[in-house]
Amino acid sequence: MIANAYELIVYILTMTGIYEPTYALFQSFGAEYLLRVIIVFFEIGILFVFVLLTVMFLTWMERKVVAMVQSRYGPMVTGPRGLFQPVMDGVKLIGKEDIIPEKADRWIFTLAPFIVFVPALLVFIPLPFGESLIISDLRVGLLYIIAISALSPVAILLAGWASNNKYALLGAMRAVAQDISYTIPLALSAIAVVMLTGSLSTVDIVNAQSGTWFGIIPKWFILLQPLGFVLFLIASIAEMGRIPFDFQESEQELVAGFFTEYSGMKFAMFFLAEYAHLFAVSGIIVTLFLGGWSGPVLPFIPVQITSLVYFLIKTYVVIFFAMWLRDTVPRVRIDQLLNLGWKIMIPLALLNLLVTGFLVTAGVI
Amino acid sequence: MNGAEELKQSLPSSVISTGMQINKPLAVIKKEDILPVASKVKEMDFDQLSVITGIDYQDRFEVIYNFFSYRKKENLVLKVILDHDSPAVDSLTSLWKGADWLERETYDLVGIKFTGHPNLTRILLPEGWQGHPLRKDYDMDTEQFVTIGEDGEDIVSTDGSKLLRRK
Amino acid sequence: METDEFILNMGPVHPSTHGVLRFKLRMDGEIIKDCQVVLGYLHRGTEKLAEMKTYLQFIPYTDRLDYISAMPNNYAYVKAVEELAGTEVPLRAEYIRVLAMELNRIVNHLVFMGSLLLDLGASTMIMYGFREREKALQLFEMLCGARMTFSYFRIGGVREDLPEGFIPKLNEFMNDMEKRITDYEDLINGNEIFLMRMKNIGVISAEEAINYGMTGPSLRGSGVNYDIRKMEPYSIYPDLDFKACVYPECDSYARYMVRVDEMRESLHILRQIVDTIPESNVIATQKYGVAPMTGMPYTAQTYFPRIFTPPAGEVYSRIEAPKGELGFYVVSDGTTKPYRVKIRSPSFCNLTAIPKMVVGLKIPDLIAAFGTIDVVLGDVDR
Repeated sequence: MIANAYELIVYILTMTGIYEPTYALFQSFGAEYLLRVIIVFFEIGILFVFVLLTVMFLTWMERKVVAMVQSRYGPMVTGPRGLFQPVMDGVKLIGKEDIIPEKADRWIFTLAPFIVFVPALLVFIPLPFGESLIISDLRVGLLYIIAISALSPVAILLAGWASNNKYALLGAMRAVAQDISYTIPLALSAIAVVMLTGSLSTVDIVNAQSGTWFGIIPKWFILLQPLGFVLFLIASIAEMGRIPFDFQESEQELVAGFFTEYSGMKFAMFFLAEYAHLFAVSGIIVTLFLGGWSGPVLPFIPVQITSLVYFLIKTYVVIFFAMWLRDTVPRVRIDQLLNLGWKIMIPLALLNLLVTGFLVTAGVI
Repeated sequence: MNGAEELKQSLPSSVISTGMQINKPLAVIKKEDILPVASKVKEMDFDQLSVITGIDYQDRFEVIYNFFSYRKKENLVLKVILDHDSPAVDSLTSLWKGADWLERETYDLVGIKFTGHPNLTRILLPEGWQGHPLRKDYDMDTEQFVTIGEDGEDIVSTDGSKLLRRK
Repeated sequence: METDEFILNMGPVHPSTHGVLRFKLRMDGEIIKDCQVVLGYLHRGTEKLAEMKTYLQFIPYTDRLDYISAMPNNYAYVKAVEELAGTEVPLRAEYIRVLAMELNRIVNHLVFMGSLLLDLGASTMIMYGFREREKALQLFEMLCGARMTFSYFRIGGVREDLPEGFIPKLNEFMNDMEKRITDYEDLINGNEIFLMRMKNIGVISAEEAINYGMTGPSLRGSGVNYDIRKMEPYSIYPDLDFKACVYPECDSYARYMVRVDEMRESLHILRQIVDTIPESNVIATQKYGVAPMTGMPYTAQTYFPRIFTPPAGEVYSRIEAPKGELGFYVVSDGTTKPYRVKIRSPSFCNLTAIPKMVVGLKIPDLIAAFGTIDVVLGDVDR
């Protein structure tokens, strides 16, 4: 059983016969740890490139999905069916003038987009893309994911503060309020899943969902935890700041969002971070509730590839749902939003926890 | 009997004449008595004030009020004649809140002052505008320039030199 | 901890003020304590221009008042002059006029729905609304050649008769529209988020609404059954069967529902017109001065003199425009140009009530309430 991507790469290299001689070469310098480091950088590089390509693809997909719902075409001019649109957007944003407001705090102003972007990438480490396609199977994977996601309010406040604009600061404070009030039901719903598996490791969670009842119905946690699934879904859409919870980015709202003063590449980083976050959160929903990469095994194809395909299909279904939701419903007002988070979702999440705990102790599930 | 005749019966000293304005009853009122007449009109169930029109004739100003009653489905027109030098009449904002902006517009464009109005300032033209455009003696040859000041307030001037330029 | 009030400026350039309109809001945190409306950014001096143009030349200026629904603007002016001059209008022309106006009412309410929902965050409805509006604008283009500023009406009738193939296309549009309104109602009316944003927002009671001079669908949303087409019927409305849509709840949701129901009533009226339209001339025979030209039963623009002098007098005539009561007060002194034209625009008078509606609410509520008043700045500023 190949446990993670490092071992997968070593396995492939051994099969093709490259590993042994290079290991011997490095060992002659007394630096076999250097080989390990190179392989780790390589696998992280693959992940990085994959995530960036996916994020660019997602920007195109969002515009196409929204256009489909609104019965129009979307981007069609740049490239076949508009596929090079994200590239063109990136080129345009790089070419824009990089304005830093006069009285803004230069260092923090420049750093804030990166502090938003990096956690969005770090979240992918314990996310299992397929069988043995995981960077590192942390034993506390789920806790790590939630902890890293909780870094984004800090970065948002930094961005709002460093802009030296009272409206940006107000917008940042509202975004932080939204973020932290929805992290709580998110975490509580995730804990219910942990109760069912008995482990925080993402690979264990996916393995607990393998198999079927009566040969047809897969043992996904969405069937055992319907309320938890709904709460997790709503909480993650609220955390990401998408419609119906996107009063931050609404042009019709008066107070501008925390990224008002940003232009050019820094602005692009906020947006890339948002789409990376979308991809990561969909991946987490798939891992926790929709069975991760589990699916029927096909005979001649290695299980790593089929599991990757299943994972991506399920993730894109969740992403499509989020995009579909975006152009169907209106926005929720900020006080209604916080009302929903604190007064409705937290009690429901606690109730979910209670019922799950009761059923688990009673041995039913 | 229609509204104008009823008005003449109840307040005969205020009504100068009654008549018809193409199938709407018309009553010409003394300008000092417009407030009591208007309260009587409101009592007579004419609850909608449709429009306030100010007209500049050569020798006088006229202000015309059009009323409508929802319950009785009747119209009533009141006309007030003001003198040409300083036209002023009482404001009806205490009875109809909709008269607020209609009177401001009449003041702005025709130049009729409404005494007792809570906030008689220009509404359609910027604050510093010279003259009242809908008067017949309005000077249409001088150009007035409007720019925006530091706080977003309008600055009106007749020479183009105060136009806002980027430093 | 002490808090201070601050002044927030919802400036002239803003996506959801439907034009150049400025709100000066005094805010205490999130709550609006006072709202001051600053107008006049689109003032073009239409009333002064009227004194320098002949009666016929002023008709294109009336298009530009409420540019979303230009046909009723034309009609209000033309009706005032016809009342002053005592002109009779042929029956077919009246039918065509009401057809154009009701079609324009549907277009106006589609734009209303689209922009209201765009302000609330659902960007799909405006795309659908403009798609339907496109079909209606193509009908208008068949009718008079223009899509937005029509100048179709003349004193004494309309400019040209209905072209060939107009009625079948209109029938197609009506059948399509019937289904679409049902679709939109299913999508929007029951949406919980929409209800949360609109119910009990921007409440104004019936007596206050009448006192402020509100008219039209905004007033009917407060339970007052005031529709000029029923109260003081004009044109062929006495012969048509329709009902005025009234909702008693006085909030934004009621005003929205009134307009959706009005769209259906307009379709009903259009069907009756298409069934019963008579054959006759479309423009009146002349009544003053110039000798008539004979022949040419339709498109008889030459029947009616271009330079036209009504008798001296004053008239105030009003119609039910899609936004409310649109009235023209025309004063004539017997010459070819009017002495004074005063335009009573519905958006201007409806806007008076906004400060009352909005105090104590938050900014998203201001946007929702303001969207249901359905203001067009060309109408407000003239």
